[in-house]
Amino acid sequence: MIVSLISLILLCPLAAFAVFGLLGLANRRFPRQDYLSTAAMLIALACSFLLLREVVPKPEAHTLNWISLGDVTFSMGFYLDSVTVIMLIVVTLVSSLVHIFSIGYMHGDPRYPRFFAYLSLFSFSMLFLVVSDNLLGIYIGWELVGLCSYLLIGFWFEKDSAANACKKAFLTTRVGDVGMFIGMMMLFAKFKTLSLYDGETDGIFTLAANLNTGDMVWLSIAGILIFCGAIGKSAQMPLHTWLPDAMEGPTPVSALIHAATMVAAGVYLTARMFPILTETSSLVIAYVGGITALVAATIAIVRFDIKRVLAYSTISQLGYMMLAIGVGSYVAGLFHLTTHAFFKALLFLGSGSVIHAFHAMHAHGHDDEHAHEHNEDAETEHVLGSEIPSDQDMRNMGGLRHKMPITFITMLIATLSISGVPFIFSGFWSKDKILAGVLGRAMEWNSAHHYILFVIALLAAGITAFYMFRLIFMTFFGEPRNQEMHDMAHESPLSMTVPLIVLAILSFPVVNTLWFNKDYVKPPPQPHLHAPTHAQVAPDTKTGGTGFALSIFGVSEAVAAEEDAGHGTQDAHADDGHHGHGPAHTIAMILSICVAGLGIFLSWLFYQRRTLSAESVATTFRPVYNLFWHKYYFDEFYDGVLVALTVWKARLFAQFDGSVVDGIVNGVGVVTRDILAAFVGFFDNRVVDGLVNRVAQVTWVVGGRIRRIQTGAIQTYLFVVLAGIVLLILIFRAL
Amino acid sequence: MTLQHYLVISAILFTLGIFAVLTRRNAISILMGIELILNSCNLNFAAFSRFVTPSDDINGQIIAIFGIVLAAAEAAVFLAIILAIYREFGSIRPDEVDTLKG
Repeated sequence: MIVSLISLILLCPLAAFAVFGLLGLANRRFPRQDYLSTAAMLIALACSFLLLREVVPKPEAHTLNWISLGDVTFSMGFYLDSVTVIMLIVVTLVSSLVHIFSIGYMHGDPRYPRFFAYLSLFSFSMLFLVVSDNLLGIYIGWELVGLCSYLLIGFWFEKDSAANACKKAFLTTRVGDVGMFIGMMMLFAKFKTLSLYDGETDGIFTLAANLNTGDMVWLSIAGILIFCGAIGKSAQMPLHTWLPDAMEGPTPVSALIHAATMVAAGVYLTARMFPILTETSSLVIAYVGGITALVAATIAIVRFDIKRVLAYSTISQLGYMMLAIGVGSYVAGLFHLTTHAFFKALLFLGSGSVIHAFHAMHAHGHDDEHAHEHNEDAETEHVLGSEIPSDQDMRNMGGLRHKMPITFITMLIATLSISGVPFIFSGFWSKDKILAGVLGRAMEWNSAHHYILFVIALLAAGITAFYMFRLIFMTFFGEPRNQEMHDMAHESPLSMTVPLIVLAILSFPVVNTLWFNKDYVKPPPQPHLHAPTHAQVAPDTKTGGTGFALSIFGVSEAVAAEEDAGHGTQDAHADDGHHGHGPAHTIAMILSICVAGLGIFLSWLFYQRRTLSAESVATTFRPVYNLFWHKYYFDEFYDGVLVALTVWKARLFAQFDGSVVDGIVNGVGVVTRDILAAFVGFFDNRVVDGLVNRVAQVTWVVGGRIRRIQTGAIQTYLFVVLAGIVLLILIFRAL
Repeated sequence: MTLQHYLVISAILFTLGIFAVLTRRNAISILMGIELILNSCNLNFAAFSRFVTPSDDINGQIIAIFGIVLAAAEAAVFLAIILAIYREFGSIRPDEVDTLKG
């Protein structure tokens, strides 16, 4: 049952792609590739839900030996536990909705069928990655995901910016993949297997658990290297630069990449590698995540392109998830991954809906995307990759809430969720769990690192609320800034609004939190993660604390009970060290509500009441504003240093090639031609030809002399014969 | 008449024949010289058969008769060749027929 379900989940999207690919070979098209791909995803979605019931009791593994080389065997197989199933559901659900949305959004595109085929392949790759039980399978899915993102980001490859963006995405993630591959090979060199779980032989996790302390440095390095792959794929600092540029792809693709497939892969991988993380690698992951969360959030504040705000928001939220895994809050990280998947997909599809509304005024769709307006920011706008298409520029929007009520309400729900507005939105619960996890680890270990990380995370949470409401205020509230475009705007068709509504429903905690309660997700043990010796175990006051926090904010008993159940999950592995969760949770919750409220309030002051002027603040803090506007100069740094270095190196090599290699080749050529060949030619001409000519000449001359004998006069011959006979007779007589 | 007489006459005939063959400027005369040589040979055969071998052995005389027959055939072929040469070159002087000259 499970095998057939999982096969169906994998094969449906693959078949949809294969139909396109195989018919494409014959230069044919399936008449409705869009319906085919969508149906395939819906089947996969249904199967995922069926699986949910199947694997609740215990994880399932099915492995086949794939390649045997000497005494090493590479296997391929599934590993299904609750995390896998949740990921399957998230991926298939978001992917299905994106498919449905695309039917409306991509309508009329010249490569409409191809788009759906790519979406199917993308979903297949991600599903394959998710169910693989070994690093090799994960790596295959990983690279397929990278390929599909390349194809889809560059879907409108007529645009130079899209062509460049897809190359950038591919190459940047490749940098991380190199690290991941080295990490994989380190594990392989040590354990002679790439299987993560125990099968016929022990998997990596079991083998790693048996390592002694002498191997910890090695294990930390391997863990960090594998995390490098996640840095690239999940757009963490410093490899995050591809993700904002990936906005060049069609908006449904952005939604898919940001919510379900591409970037979630990195978080998923890190979560999968959870059991081999050591203190060092955990701390590295936590810091990368935390810094990414803060930096990306600050960059998002100053962006005007609606999609780029969301892109930086994604980077920031991914940083949160990494942070959660880094501090050992496995459940919180995955919880945030799922809640984020839904509300971020909703935000992207919503922004797609807005862009689509503006598209109507461009009779020919994407041709006019470069017709951006140069206004007061003309001088700052001419920055690498920050040319904003007019239909994505929030400065052209405003007052859209009346024009597009469904888009507005659904996006508002997503925004409230991502901002961490308390209690009724899922984003609050997942973010709160992360903050509580960080603070819990900090208090439990009494570690300065984790206190710093908590402050960073808190700051990022506040900024997130600020820039998300800035987006809402600029887009949907106030007066229309561009009347012409405003007049053309309209609500999107049903195929686009239905996915929005579904996702909006999913942004409420009822659906999400169910999965994360009742011990459904259990964090795997981390045998090599030890609390520092000075750690103090805080008294266990969790129940009282949480209850207190909840009663302050007047939450119903039902929510409190649900939350307590959630805590049960955490404390089920109390030996893993989550004693400090009680007070930590209370403090974290209060603080996160405060910063979210503050962020929203400031945003309201700036962009709605206009009591404060964003422009004047920007002028006052010009250097800071510039830093944010230039995205911390990451692109400039890469362009100026890495790209320039590469180009310089290429020039150097070209010069080396031109002078030394070509020189050697030319030198050899010259020596051969002018010396060897000349000598051989001389020898050939003079000696060999000379010999032949002399022989001919001698023959000629001698022949010329001798031929005189041949007089042709028969009587002469006869005389000679007679003379000869006479001579012979005389000779014989003499003898 | 002894063997020597025959041999002397034969030698004279042979020498005359050779002389005719080497010196004549006319192919017919050369043919005549050749006939003389052949006949000197025939005379030798006959003479040696008569004086040297036993009387019941006439092999040499028979060879002489074959030689005469041969001479007749040879004359016929020779004349035919001369006719052909005349048609080709318009002359039967052997010193003018020298296309095989080196």
